Amino acid sequence: MITLSYSPLYCSTRNFQLPNPSLFANLYGGLAVTKRYPLRAAASLWDSMRSSFLNNNTSQLIEPLPDEEEEVPQEIVLVEKTQPDGTIEQLMFSSGGDVDVYDLQALCDKVGWPRRPPSKVAAALKNSYMVATLHSIRKSPDAEGNDQKELIGMARATSDHAFNATIWDVIVDPSYQGQGLGKALVEQLIRALLRRDIGNISLFADSKVVDFYKNLGFEPDPEGIKGMFWYPRY
Amino acid sequence: MLLQSISTSSISPSLRFKPPKPLKITSQLTPKFSISDADLQTRGFNLRRTFTDLNLDHLNTVFVSVGFPKRDPEKIKIALEHTDALLWIEYRKTKKPVAFARATGDGVFNAIIWDVVVDPSFQGIGLGKVLMERLVDELLEKRISNIVLYAEPRVLGFYRPLGFAADPDGIRGMVYSRRHQMRR
Repeated sequence: MITLSYSPLYCSTRNFQLPNPSLFANLYGGLAVTKRYPLRAAASLWDSMRSSFLNNNTSQLIEPLPDEEEEVPQEIVLVEKTQPDGTIEQLMFSSGGDVDVYDLQALCDKVGWPRRPPSKVAAALKNSYMVATLHSIRKSPDAEGNDQKELIGMARATSDHAFNATIWDVIVDPSYQGQGLGKALVEQLIRALLRRDIGNISLFADSKVVDFYKNLGFEPDPEGIKGMFWYPRY
Repeated sequence: MLLQSISTSSISPSLRFKPPKPLKITSQLTPKFSISDADLQTRGFNLRRTFTDLNLDHLNTVFVSVGFPKRDPEKIKIALEHTDALLWIEYRKTKKPVAFARATGDGVFNAIIWDVVVDPSFQGIGLGKVLMERLVDELLEKRISNIVLYAEPRVLGFYRPLGFAADPDGIRGMVYSRRHQMRR
Protein backbone atom coordinates (compact mmCIF):
# COMPACT_ATOMS: atom_id res chain seq x y z
CA MET A 1 0.00 0.00 0.00
CA ILE A 2 1.36 3.36 -0.94
CA THR A 3 1.30 5.71 2.00
CA LEU A 4 0.81 9.21 0.74
CA SER A 5 2.81 10.81 3.47
CA TYR A 6 4.29 13.57 1.41
CA SER A 7 2.33 16.71 0.83
CA PRO A 8 0.30 16.40 -2.32
CA LEU A 9 -1.99 19.36 -2.29
CA TYR A 10 -5.35 18.87 -3.83
CA CYS A 11 -5.91 22.55 -4.13
CA SER A 12 -5.70 23.95 -7.60
CA THR A 13 -3.79 27.07 -8.40
CA ARG A 14 -6.42 28.44 -10.68
CA ASN A 15 -6.79 32.21 -10.79
CA PHE A 16 -9.66 33.29 -8.60
CA GLN A 17 -12.26 35.95 -9.20
CA LEU A 18 -12.14 38.92 -6.90
CA PRO A 19 -15.07 38.38 -4.53
CA ASN A 20 -17.85 40.93 -4.82
CA PRO A 21 -17.57 44.02 -2.60
CA SER A 22 -20.58 43.09 -0.50
CA LEU A 23 -18.83 39.90 0.53
CA PHE A 24 -15.81 41.94 1.51
CA ALA A 25 -17.96 44.17 3.68
CA ASN A 26 -19.63 41.19 5.23
CA LEU A 27 -16.30 39.54 5.90
CA TYR A 28 -14.59 42.53 7.38
CA GLY A 29 -17.67 43.49 9.31
CA GLY A 30 -17.99 39.91 10.47
CA LEU A 31 -14.46 39.89 11.76
CA ALA A 32 -14.90 43.18 13.57
CA VAL A 33 -18.11 42.12 15.23
CA THR A 34 -17.24 38.65 16.49
CA LYS A 35 -14.65 40.10 18.89
CA ARG A 36 -12.87 36.81 19.39
CA TYR A 37 -9.49 38.31 18.87
CA PRO A 38 -7.82 41.71 18.59
CA LEU A 39 -8.78 43.56 15.46
CA ARG A 40 -5.16 44.17 14.54
CA ALA A 41 -4.53 40.46 14.22
CA ALA A 42 -7.61 40.16 12.06
CA ALA A 43 -6.56 43.06 9.89
CA SER A 44 -3.12 41.69 9.19
CA LEU A 45 -4.63 38.30 8.47
CA TRP A 46 -7.14 39.94 6.14
CA ASP A 47 -4.37 41.73 4.30
CA SER A 48 -2.54 38.51 3.73
CA MET A 49 -5.74 36.75 2.74
CA ARG A 50 -6.73 39.52 0.36
CA SER A 51 -3.47 39.26 -1.50
CA SER A 52 -4.18 35.61 -2.10
CA PHE A 53 -7.55 36.47 -3.61
CA LEU A 54 -6.03 38.86 -6.09
CA ASN A 55 -5.18 37.58 -9.53
CA ASN A 56 -1.58 38.45 -9.06
CA ASN A 57 0.19 35.30 -7.98
CA THR A 58 3.47 37.01 -7.43
CA SER A 59 2.15 39.04 -4.52
CA GLN A 60 3.61 38.30 -1.15
CA LEU A 61 1.39 36.21 1.03
CA ILE A 62 3.26 36.28 4.27
CA GLU A 63 4.34 39.58 5.75
CA PRO A 64 7.47 39.90 7.80
CA LEU A 65 6.63 39.14 11.41
CA PRO A 66 6.08 42.17 13.63
CA ASP A 67 8.67 42.86 16.25
CA GLU A 68 6.45 42.64 19.27
CA GLU A 69 4.64 39.46 20.19
CA GLU A 70 1.22 39.49 18.57
CA GLU A 71 -1.54 37.88 20.54
CA VAL A 72 -2.66 35.09 18.29
CA PRO A 73 -5.91 33.19 18.51
CA GLN A 74 -6.02 29.48 17.88
CA GLU A 75 -9.18 29.86 15.85
CA ILE A 76 -9.61 32.26 12.98
CA VAL A 77 -12.65 32.80 10.81
CA LEU A 78 -11.32 33.05 7.29
CA VAL A 79 -14.51 33.50 5.34
CA GLU A 80 -18.10 34.21 6.24
CA LYS A 81 -20.85 33.88 3.68
CA THR A 82 -24.55 34.47 4.03
CA GLN A 83 -26.66 32.19 1.88
CA PRO A 84 -29.90 33.40 0.27
CA ASP A 85 -31.91 31.43 2.82
CA GLY A 86 -30.21 33.26 5.65
CA THR A 87 -27.85 30.46 6.66
CA ILE A 88 -24.43 31.74 7.59
CA GLU A 89 -21.45 29.64 6.62
CA GLN A 90 -18.13 30.28 8.31
CA LEU A 91 -14.88 28.75 7.20
CA MET A 92 -12.75 28.47 10.27
CA PHE A 93 -9.08 27.77 10.69
CA SER A 94 -7.93 26.14 13.89
CA SER A 95 -4.52 25.05 15.08
CA GLY A 96 -5.37 23.52 18.37
CA GLY A 97 -8.45 21.41 17.91
CA ASP A 98 -8.79 17.68 17.90
CA VAL A 99 -9.47 15.96 14.64
CA ASP A 100 -11.98 13.16 14.49
CA VAL A 101 -10.21 10.43 12.55
CA TYR A 102 -13.41 9.35 10.89
CA ASP A 103 -14.09 12.90 9.68
CA LEU A 104 -10.56 12.87 8.32
CA GLN A 105 -11.14 9.53 6.68
CA ALA A 106 -14.22 10.90 4.94
CA LEU A 107 -12.17 13.86 3.72
CA CYS A 108 -9.39 11.61 2.46
CA ASP A 109 -11.98 9.51 0.63
CA LYS A 110 -13.19 12.65 -1.15
CA VAL A 111 -9.75 13.39 -2.58
CA GLY A 112 -9.05 9.77 -3.35
CA TRP A 113 -6.33 9.04 -0.83
CA PRO A 114 -6.03 5.43 0.26
CA ARG A 115 -7.45 4.58 3.65
CA ARG A 116 -5.21 4.02 6.64
CA PRO A 117 -5.99 2.20 9.89
CA PRO A 118 -7.82 4.73 12.08
CA SER A 119 -5.77 3.84 15.16
CA LYS A 120 -2.58 4.62 13.27
CA VAL A 121 -4.00 7.89 11.99
CA ALA A 122 -4.95 8.85 15.53
CA ALA A 123 -1.43 8.07 16.73
CA ALA A 124 0.14 10.04 13.88
CA LEU A 125 -2.00 13.07 14.71
CA LYS A 126 -1.20 12.78 18.39
CA ASN A 127 2.52 12.64 17.59
CA SER A 128 2.37 15.63 15.29
CA TYR A 129 3.69 18.92 16.59
CA MET A 130 0.87 20.84 15.03
CA VAL A 131 -2.38 19.91 13.37
CA ALA A 132 -4.20 22.67 11.52
CA THR A 133 -7.77 22.28 10.37
CA LEU A 134 -10.35 24.04 8.27
CA HIS A 135 -13.97 23.59 9.21
CA SER A 136 -17.15 24.75 7.58
CA ILE A 137 -19.68 25.86 10.18
CA ARG A 138 -23.21 26.43 9.05
CA LYS A 139 -25.48 28.36 11.37
CA SER A 140 -29.17 28.18 10.54
CA PRO A 141 -31.11 31.47 10.45
CA ASP A 142 -33.31 30.50 13.41
CA ALA A 143 -31.54 30.96 16.70
CA GLU A 144 -32.21 27.48 18.05
CA GLY A 145 -30.86 25.49 15.11
CA ASN A 146 -27.70 23.50 15.82
CA ASP A 147 -24.50 24.45 14.05
CA GLN A 148 -23.32 22.03 11.42
CA LYS A 149 -19.60 21.56 11.55
CA GLU A 150 -17.73 19.82 8.76
CA LEU A 151 -14.03 19.15 8.32
CA ILE A 152 -13.00 20.57 4.96
CA GLY A 153 -9.24 20.82 5.23
CA MET A 154 -6.25 19.76 7.23
CA ALA A 155 -2.48 20.04 7.34
CA ARG A 156 -0.05 18.82 9.95
CA ALA A 157 3.58 19.22 10.84
CA THR A 158 6.01 17.04 12.71
CA SER A 159 8.92 18.67 14.49
CA ASP A 160 11.72 18.27 16.99
CA HIS A 161 10.39 21.37 18.74
CA ALA A 162 13.65 23.19 18.20
CA PHE A 163 15.12 23.27 14.72
CA ASN A 164 13.13 21.46 12.07
CA ALA A 165 9.51 20.99 11.10
CA THR A 166 8.13 19.03 8.17
CA ILE A 167 4.65 19.55 6.77
CA TRP A 168 2.60 16.50 5.74
CA ASP A 169 -0.81 15.57 4.41
CA VAL A 170 -2.11 18.92 3.21
CA ILE A 171 -5.69 18.32 2.11
CA VAL A 172 -8.68 20.46 1.09
CA ASP A 173 -12.15 19.20 0.25
CA PRO A 174 -12.53 19.30 -3.55
CA SER A 175 -15.75 21.33 -3.32
CA TYR A 176 -13.90 24.02 -1.39
CA GLN A 177 -10.83 24.10 -3.56
CA GLY A 178 -9.93 27.06 -5.74
CA GLN A 179 -10.72 29.66 -3.06
CA GLY A 180 -7.29 30.11 -1.58
CA LEU A 181 -8.10 27.98 1.44
CA GLY A 182 -5.18 25.63 0.96
CA LYS A 183 -2.88 28.63 0.83
CA ALA A 184 -4.42 30.07 3.96
CA LEU A 185 -4.08 26.73 5.72
CA VAL A 186 -0.40 26.31 4.94
CA GLU A 187 0.29 29.98 5.54
CA GLN A 188 -1.20 29.86 9.03
CA LEU A 189 0.72 26.70 9.78
CA ILE A 190 3.97 28.35 8.71
CA ARG A 191 3.22 31.43 10.81
CA ALA A 192 2.54 29.30 13.85
CA LEU A 193 5.78 27.42 13.35
CA LEU A 194 7.82 30.58 12.85
CA ARG A 195 6.25 32.09 15.95
CA ARG A 196 7.63 29.16 17.89
CA ASP A 197 11.06 29.83 16.45
CA ILE A 198 11.27 26.71 14.30
CA GLY A 199 13.73 27.93 11.72
CA ASN A 200 13.67 25.11 9.19
CA ILE A 201 10.31 24.28 7.62
CA SER A 202 10.33 21.64 4.93
CA LEU A 203 8.01 19.42 2.97
CA PHE A 204 7.89 17.00 0.05
CA ALA A 205 5.77 18.10 -2.87
CA ASP A 206 4.20 16.12 -5.65
CA SER A 207 5.46 17.52 -8.97
CA LYS A 208 1.99 18.97 -9.68
CA VAL A 209 2.00 21.15 -6.58
CA VAL A 210 5.58 22.39 -6.56
CA ASP A 211 4.41 25.74 -7.97
CA PHE A 212 1.76 26.05 -5.30
CA TYR A 213 4.39 25.80 -2.60
CA LYS A 214 6.77 28.09 -4.47
CA ASN A 215 4.10 30.76 -4.22
CA LEU A 216 4.08 30.25 -0.48
CA GLY A 217 7.81 30.76 -0.17
CA PHE A 218 9.14 27.24 -0.49
CA GLU A 219 12.18 26.55 -2.61
CA PRO A 220 12.76 23.19 -4.27
CA ASP A 221 16.23 21.68 -3.88
CA PRO A 222 17.78 24.71 -2.19
CA GLU A 223 21.51 24.73 -2.90
CA GLY A 224 21.05 21.43 -4.66
CA ILE A 225 19.88 19.65 -1.51
CA LYS A 226 17.70 16.75 -2.59
CA GLY A 227 14.85 15.00 -0.86
CA MET A 228 15.56 11.28 -0.75
CA PHE A 229 13.20 8.42 0.06
CA TRP A 230 14.12 4.96 1.30
CA TYR A 231 13.04 2.37 -1.30
CA PRO A 232 9.97 4.29 -2.42
CA ARG A 233 7.22 2.10 -3.71
CA TYR A 234 6.42 3.96 -6.90
CA MET B 1 26.97 -19.41 5.43
CA LEU B 2 25.29 -22.05 7.42
CA LEU B 3 21.99 -23.65 6.69
CA GLN B 4 20.66 -26.06 9.25
CA SER B 5 17.35 -27.71 9.05
CA ILE B 6 15.78 -30.29 11.24
CA SER B 7 12.70 -31.84 9.84
CA THR B 8 10.52 -34.69 10.86
CA SER B 9 11.28 -37.92 9.09
CA SER B 10 8.48 -40.19 8.05
CA ILE B 11 6.69 -41.50 11.10
CA SER B 12 5.82 -45.18 11.45
CA PRO B 13 2.17 -45.90 12.27
CA SER B 14 3.11 -46.98 15.81
CA LEU B 15 4.44 -43.48 16.58
CA ARG B 16 1.57 -41.63 15.02
CA PHE B 17 0.18 -40.43 18.33
CA LYS B 18 3.35 -38.66 19.34
CA PRO B 19 3.32 -34.96 18.50
CA PRO B 20 5.65 -34.32 15.59
CA LYS B 21 8.91 -32.51 16.26
CA PRO B 22 8.62 -28.83 15.33
CA LEU B 23 10.13 -27.84 12.03
CA LYS B 24 13.14 -25.70 12.76
CA ILE B 25 15.16 -23.81 10.20
CA THR B 26 17.94 -21.48 11.12
CA SER B 27 19.83 -19.66 8.43
CA GLN B 28 22.66 -17.21 8.49
CA LEU B 29 22.69 -16.42 4.83
CA THR B 30 23.29 -12.70 5.07
CA PRO B 31 24.39 -10.68 8.08
CA LYS B 32 22.00 -7.93 9.03
CA PHE B 33 24.56 -5.11 8.92
CA SER B 34 27.73 -4.62 6.88
CA ILE B 35 29.74 -4.00 10.05
CA SER B 36 28.59 -5.96 13.07
CA ASP B 37 28.26 -4.58 16.57
CA ALA B 38 31.11 -6.86 17.58
CA ASP B 39 33.37 -5.45 14.85
CA LEU B 40 32.58 -1.96 16.01
CA GLN B 41 33.50 -2.89 19.56
CA THR B 42 36.82 -4.43 18.64
CA ARG B 43 37.73 -1.36 16.62
CA GLY B 44 37.38 0.77 19.73
CA PHE B 45 33.90 2.21 19.35
CA ASN B 46 30.76 2.04 21.44
CA LEU B 47 27.37 2.22 19.80
CA ARG B 48 24.86 4.24 21.84
CA ARG B 49 21.15 4.67 21.36
CA THR B 50 20.21 7.21 24.00
CA PHE B 51 21.52 10.69 24.66
CA THR B 52 21.84 10.37 28.43
CA ASP B 53 25.62 10.21 28.34
CA LEU B 54 26.02 12.39 25.29
CA ASN B 55 27.98 15.54 25.95
CA LEU B 56 26.20 18.16 23.89
CA ASP B 57 29.19 20.47 23.70
CA HIS B 58 31.23 17.64 22.19
CA LEU B 59 28.39 16.94 19.79
CA ASN B 60 28.31 20.59 18.84
CA THR B 61 32.03 20.39 18.08
CA VAL B 62 31.43 17.52 15.69
CA PHE B 63 28.61 19.48 14.03
CA VAL B 64 30.84 22.48 13.54
CA SER B 65 33.70 20.34 12.23
CA VAL B 66 31.54 19.21 9.30
CA GLY B 67 30.25 22.68 8.57
CA PHE B 68 26.97 22.80 10.46
CA PRO B 69 26.22 26.03 12.28
CA LYS B 70 27.03 26.02 15.98
CA ARG B 71 23.81 25.55 17.92
CA ASP B 72 22.60 26.42 21.37
CA PRO B 73 23.12 23.25 23.46
CA GLU B 74 19.85 23.93 25.27
CA LYS B 75 18.03 23.84 21.95
CA ILE B 76 19.89 20.68 20.97
CA LYS B 77 18.64 19.10 24.19
CA ILE B 78 15.05 20.01 23.35
CA ALA B 79 15.48 18.61 19.86
CA LEU B 80 16.86 15.34 21.21
CA GLU B 81 14.02 15.05 23.70
CA HIS B 82 11.61 15.18 20.78
CA THR B 83 13.49 12.83 18.53
CA ASP B 84 12.04 9.43 17.68
CA ALA B 85 15.31 7.56 17.31
CA LEU B 86 18.95 8.44 17.61
CA LEU B 87 22.27 6.69 17.40
CA TRP B 88 25.77 7.83 18.15
CA ILE B 89 29.19 6.32 18.20
CA GLU B 90 31.58 6.97 21.03
CA TYR B 91 35.30 6.59 20.57
CA ARG B 92 36.30 4.71 23.71
CA LYS B 93 39.78 6.19 23.88
CA THR B 94 38.55 9.79 24.11
CA LYS B 95 35.03 9.05 25.35
CA LYS B 96 33.82 11.58 22.78
CA PRO B 97 31.12 11.26 20.15
CA VAL B 98 32.54 10.80 16.66
CA ALA B 99 29.37 10.05 14.73
CA PHE B 100 25.69 10.86 15.16
CA ALA B 101 22.35 10.49 13.44
CA ARG B 102 18.74 10.99 14.48
CA ALA B 103 15.22 10.73 13.12
CA THR B 104 12.02 12.64 13.90
CA GLY B 105 8.49 11.96 12.72
CA ASP B 106 5.01 10.96 13.73
CA GLY B 107 6.07 7.53 14.92
CA VAL B 108 3.65 5.76 12.60
CA PHE B 109 3.88 6.73 8.95
CA ASN B 110 6.77 9.11 8.41
CA ALA B 111 10.29 9.55 9.68
CA ILE B 112 12.82 12.16 8.62
CA ILE B 113 16.51 11.61 9.25
CA TRP B 114 18.53 14.64 10.34
CA ASP B 115 22.01 15.60 11.44
CA VAL B 116 23.94 12.64 10.09
CA VAL B 117 27.54 13.52 10.94
CA VAL B 118 30.89 11.77 11.20
CA ASP B 119 33.89 13.57 12.63
CA PRO B 120 36.23 14.26 9.70
CA SER B 121 39.08 12.43 11.43
CA PHE B 122 36.92 9.31 11.52
CA GLN B 123 35.38 9.46 8.08
CA GLY B 124 35.93 6.80 5.48
CA ILE B 125 35.91 3.79 7.76
CA GLY B 126 32.21 3.02 7.62
CA LEU B 127 30.87 4.75 10.71
CA GLY B 128 28.23 6.65 8.76
CA LYS B 129 27.04 3.41 7.25
CA VAL B 130 26.96 1.79 10.69
CA LEU B 131 24.60 4.48 11.94
CA MET B 132 22.39 4.66 8.87
CA GLU B 133 21.85 0.91 8.58
CA ARG B 134 20.82 0.66 12.18
CA LEU B 135 18.68 3.79 12.16
CA VAL B 136 16.72 2.61 9.14
CA ASP B 137 16.43 -0.82 10.71
CA GLU B 138 15.03 0.65 13.92
CA LEU B 139 12.47 2.72 12.00
CA LEU B 140 11.42 -0.30 9.96
CA GLU B 141 10.98 -2.30 13.15
CA LYS B 142 8.50 0.37 14.23
CA ARG B 143 6.72 -0.27 10.93
CA ILE B 144 7.47 3.19 9.63
CA SER B 145 7.52 2.78 5.90
CA ASN B 146 8.17 6.34 4.74
CA ILE B 147 11.76 7.21 5.64
CA VAL B 148 13.06 10.41 4.12
CA LEU B 149 15.97 12.78 4.41
CA TYR B 150 17.51 15.86 2.77
CA ALA B 151 20.91 15.28 1.25
CA GLU B 152 23.52 17.77 0.10
CA PRO B 153 24.72 17.06 -3.42
CA ARG B 154 28.09 15.68 -2.28
CA VAL B 155 26.51 12.97 -0.15
CA LEU B 156 23.91 11.68 -2.58
CA GLY B 157 26.35 8.87 -3.39
CA PHE B 158 26.55 7.97 0.29
CA TYR B 159 22.80 7.51 0.65
CA ARG B 160 22.11 5.76 -2.64
CA PRO B 161 23.75 2.43 -1.80
CA LEU B 162 21.91 2.53 1.51
CA GLY B 163 18.64 2.37 -0.39
CA PHE B 164 17.68 5.99 -0.77
CA ALA B 165 16.43 7.46 -4.02
CA ALA B 166 16.20 11.15 -4.89
CA ASP B 167 12.98 12.70 -6.23
CA PRO B 168 11.06 9.46 -6.72
CA ASP B 169 8.22 9.95 -9.15
CA GLY B 170 9.10 13.63 -9.37
CA ILE B 171 8.48 14.40 -5.71
CA ARG B 172 10.64 17.36 -4.68
CA GLY B 173 11.98 18.27 -1.30
CA MET B 174 11.20 21.91 -0.56
CA VAL B 175 12.32 24.25 2.17
CA TYR B 176 10.65 27.45 3.33
CA SER B 177 12.81 30.49 2.89
CA ARG B 178 11.90 33.83 4.45
CA ARG B 179 14.47 35.53 2.29
CA HIS B 180 12.94 33.90 -0.73
CA GLN B 181 9.55 35.17 0.29
CA MET B 182 10.68 38.71 0.94
CA ARG B 183 12.39 38.93 -2.41
CA ARG B 184 9.04 38.73 -4.17
